Amino acid sequence: MGKLHIPEPEEALPGVELEDNQGLLQWISSVDHKQIGIMYLWMALFFMLLGGLGALLMRVQLAVPRNDLLSPEIYNQVFTMHGTTMIFLVATPAILGFSVYLSPLMIGANDMAFPRLNAFSFWIALCGGFLLYFSFLAGGAPDAGWFNYAPLNQRPYSPSPGIDYYCIGLLLAGSGTVATAVNLIVTVLKLRVPSMSLRELPVFVWMVLINSFLILAAFPSLNAALAMLLLDRQLQAHFFDIAGGGSSLLWQHLFWLFGHPEVYILILPAFGILSEVFQVFSRKPIFGYAFIVGSGMAIALLAFGVWIHHMFATGLGITVNGFFSASSLLIGIPTGVKIFSWLGTMWGGSLRFTTAMLFATAFLVEFTIGGLSGVSFAIVPIDWQLTDTYYVVAHLHYVFVGGSLFGLLAGLFYWFPKMSGKIIPEKQGKWFFWLFVIGFNMTFLIQHALGVLGMPRRVYTYPDLPNYTWMNMLSTAGAFIMGFSVLYLGFIIYKSIKSGKKAPDDPWNAYTLEWLTTSPPQLQNFKEVPPVKSFRPLRDLKQDNPNWQLQDDPWKID
Amino acid sequence: MKELFLYDAFAGIPLCGTEGAADSIWGNWLLMPGVLLLIAGLSGLYLLLSGGKLQKGAGLYFGGLVLLLLVQSSPLHFLAMHYLFSAHMVGHIIILLGCAPLLVLGLPEQVGPDTQNILAAVSKVLSQRPWLGWLCGIGVMWFWHVTAVFDAAFPAALATGVNLLPLLLTFSLLLAGALFAWPILGPLPAYRINPLLGVLYLFTACVGCSLLGLLITFAPLGIYHHYLSADAYGFDGLIRKGWGITAAVDQQMAGLIMWVPCCFVYLSGSLYLLHNWLTAKDGQPLWKESGLNLEGDRI
Repeated sequence: MGKLHIPEPEEALPGVELEDNQGLLQWISSVDHKQIGIMYLWMALFFMLLGGLGALLMRVQLAVPRNDLLSPEIYNQVFTMHGTTMIFLVATPAILGFSVYLSPLMIGANDMAFPRLNAFSFWIALCGGFLLYFSFLAGGAPDAGWFNYAPLNQRPYSPSPGIDYYCIGLLLAGSGTVATAVNLIVTVLKLRVPSMSLRELPVFVWMVLINSFLILAAFPSLNAALAMLLLDRQLQAHFFDIAGGGSSLLWQHLFWLFGHPEVYILILPAFGILSEVFQVFSRKPIFGYAFIVGSGMAIALLAFGVWIHHMFATGLGITVNGFFSASSLLIGIPTGVKIFSWLGTMWGGSLRFTTAMLFATAFLVEFTIGGLSGVSFAIVPIDWQLTDTYYVVAHLHYVFVGGSLFGLLAGLFYWFPKMSGKIIPEKQGKWFFWLFVIGFNMTFLIQHALGVLGMPRRVYTYPDLPNYTWMNMLSTAGAFIMGFSVLYLGFIIYKSIKSGKKAPDDPWNAYTLEWLTTSPPQLQNFKEVPPVKSFRPLRDLKQDNPNWQLQDDPWKID
Repeated sequence: MKELFLYDAFAGIPLCGTEGAADSIWGNWLLMPGVLLLIAGLSGLYLLLSGGKLQKGAGLYFGGLVLLLLVQSSPLHFLAMHYLFSAHMVGHIIILLGCAPLLVLGLPEQVGPDTQNILAAVSKVLSQRPWLGWLCGIGVMWFWHVTAVFDAAFPAALATGVNLLPLLLTFSLLLAGALFAWPILGPLPAYRINPLLGVLYLFTACVGCSLLGLLITFAPLGIYHHYLSADAYGFDGLIRKGWGITAAVDQQMAGLIMWVPCCFVYLSGSLYLLHNWLTAKDGQPLWKESGLNLEGDRI
């Protein structure tokens, strides 16, 4: 046990001396961006287990036709909580966790611009999550879907307090997210090491910056809608109450004005992670830096012009649908640019298929499947035919899991040595990868077919129609493989932290500044940062110093 | 026949088109002296600025004027004045985001010292206060689509005398579009705004026009009275039934044109700025590296 080095001037904390073994208190009271980032990731993993449990309950219910394990009312609560949890309490905290952990490190800063606001954002988001789950004890969880459509969200249709908890919980979590976005913007714009111009930002940080603006523009719409709904339910306002002169369609507009950009909010940081992973494990700079940054910005800008495609079936008319069909098709262009940039990065590279790289490569396949089914929804007649079927369920999981989560898992395996100071053995990582990929595709690929056959989503059971039973059983079996693989991930993380091999500072021979500091970094990230000349500053440093000793190669570590 | 073309500030001179040809709209071209005067004035302004010579970029400037003439003389204008709100909106957007930026881009580079000072002063004001140009570009669209103002901007709205509002509408769109484009495309590159600020400038403009488009798209039919009036020239059957553009569809299209394609123009501009910024080589003059003292008065 030794003294804890606090990177503050003596006059800021006069006379403070702490031992370095503060235990849980050191985490709870922390304003350090690394600890807060890791807590975000733990939060995501915790809620992922809860949300995953809900998913398994649904798959058990749907394993056989006419099952009565779950009542319709409970099933409604379970699928609502599954979706809400995965979007707001798993994916969002996970991207924020990576963002607040890595952004300061990658720009050569010692912390976020507003460390206390950073801590506030995390804790308020966690409280929001707990409040949401408290609804189970308070009379019933929300049951109108993660999108919470009106008039289902009105008191006559959902009298339990679940929706009220949904509003308050998401308002808290959403406020935290907006505060973090402000924090990240200021950090990236103002705390970069002076020699790092914006054109030398690592691609991940670019995506975080763009994403933060996207959050600032999109979340207020959701937060306003939640406040209006709370007024409807608690003070008899009539924003979404048709009988009182309100409009139920207004909820959908406000929700999807947030909801469609939210898809990109959850995928852009994953794009940034993948860009770093592809570079390092292909031993090449990113192919088309300007294009990959520009297409990220194009996605963010276009994200606000396409939300109506979530509402093609609401009767807005052929004219409206036609315009938004065209604009929705456009968004495939910048996404395609990114895919080709990554392929171009891999092309001719010296590829190393670590677990991180495997997830990144699998992402290219899975996300493209999700993207193509998404493009099919931009075609109005197909949308009308397939809306509210399992085709939508398959599509959104290929985007959120095959896209966002695969990217986040690539990031987890890539940065785990930096965050924990320990190595996850590659062999164990690859076991997890294959279990997860097989389970995921087994669960969701078949759901495209179920959707085309007409199986509706959000319904607690189904009749014994031809092919329905075996397809659902296959999907359920896949879900259990996925569930097992996530437990296995928890186990290998725990085991690696407890007794894993110590990680070197730069195990992957990487390019960006976070690998310049120790693994894990000290409270003070850097004492000195070399001049930045490109978006691969560490690589430049190594090239300028022929005597630079490469550390242990993880290929040999395993 | 005469009455057919008496719909602007000054009597129009029909280029072609015959009364009663209710089966084809495409012959209804006419030249309006008011618009011709405006174009002549702007041509004269160019020659005045350039010292009577056509300089590099003159093609853009005069291309903008030709575009303006086409918008104001073609059947698009006829449809816009009498039948289709959507045609009206297309005309607005071409003038605001097509003609006006072309005029700004095509301004002569070699000008006299006094003119240079004026251009520098205008550029400096608009560069240091970009919200001014933004407010002009977005405000003008919102202003002219306030329902009462909108209906008053048609010649028939006034029973007697000459209604100058249509000409004022065209001129204001042109002026506001030029002021809007100036901070990004202005003739003095050193006074153009930071490209990243430009992205924000255009993106927020997109939000501004989206909101207006959204309001028009989902507004109840009939709040814009003009297009619900009687069929003055016998094309109602062709347009409403033949083309299938009912009044409701027309209003939706008008709103959607404001919302989607208009935004697409702003977003394309954003990406152009971003691309230039990202691909500029080190040392290549950008907005701030040109060596110009932004506080200085002379270039």
